[in-house]
Amino acid sequence: MQSNVDLAILDSKGELLQFFDGFRPTHRQRGESLAAYTAFEVRLASSLLQVKRPAAMPKLELPDLPKGTGIRVMVRLMDDRMVAYQAPVVEVVPLTKEDWKKLAYPQKERRLEARDLKKWLCQVYPSGVMERTNPQTKKVYQIASTEGTLILTPAGGDGAQHYAILRGKVRLTDEGADGFSYDGKLEIVLTYGADQAKALSLRGTFEGIYPRTDRRKNRTRELALQAIFESRPM
Amino acid sequence: MKKVILSAGALLLSANLCTAQNTQAKDIFSRYEDFRPSERELTMYQLDWAESLEVALERAAKESRPIFLIIIHAHYGDIFSGHC
Repeated sequence: MQSNVDLAILDSKGELLQFFDGFRPTHRQRGESLAAYTAFEVRLASSLLQVKRPAAMPKLELPDLPKGTGIRVMVRLMDDRMVAYQAPVVEVVPLTKEDWKKLAYPQKERRLEARDLKKWLCQVYPSGVMERTNPQTKKVYQIASTEGTLILTPAGGDGAQHYAILRGKVRLTDEGADGFSYDGKLEIVLTYGADQAKALSLRGTFEGIYPRTDRRKNRTRELALQAIFESRPM
Repeated sequence: MKKVILSAGALLLSANLCTAQNTQAKDIFSRYEDFRPSERELTMYQLDWAESLEVALERAAKESRPIFLIIIHAHYGDIFSGHC
């Protein structure tokens, strides 16, 4: 049976050298892991290639903004049965001056609505897009709303910088007709220069519970959904 | 004297509050570090991804490098960002 993933190797001119099923079940019969099977197939193709081995491993380069400022979001669903969902997804969201103004230093405690931060909070959903897709279009349901009242509180400083903490519960609802939603605790630290209202950097977390339904067994498990947020470029 | 004691008390309270709030900030920074995936967990981003086959073909020709192509027969997913 053919899976829905094919892997192919092309030479530098774009000519096809080899292709193979990403999940051909024969590897199990041979007692191989999926990784070992893939590596074997890649080695077969690489023997046909006249290319030099790179001198060093490439550097880790996370998705980033080519210019401007924004927030990088890393999300993972801690599912011990579908471990692929634990692999982090990294997204980066550009922000405007207006977006940052909402996070300006609070002289005293101030309320903020999660809907005003939807631009980046809406990235908090599991990596497996099959979780929630429109059955007709097969497109992933986007997060339609982020709701909840958050509190932005001054949090002292150390001379050169001062801090504020943004904290609260956020409920995320997708655009599916069944009103599917989940929630979690958002905690963010914002850093500001001395006597400055404009945020210099942001770091924080989201800790939520995601109800994952196994349609075949008609059972729902509550899984930890974790995210981190970090401002870019700082 | 009462004023001085009161002011000193207010300062002390303010300092304690400041420390308490800084502790909260430290706790959040610490949780952020705990939750942030390690370099090993982010290995997928060590691969030199191209956004599309067109970009990959252009770069392969220019840099004399082969292409490893992933074809997903589905209407959804974006392996570039890790959503599959």
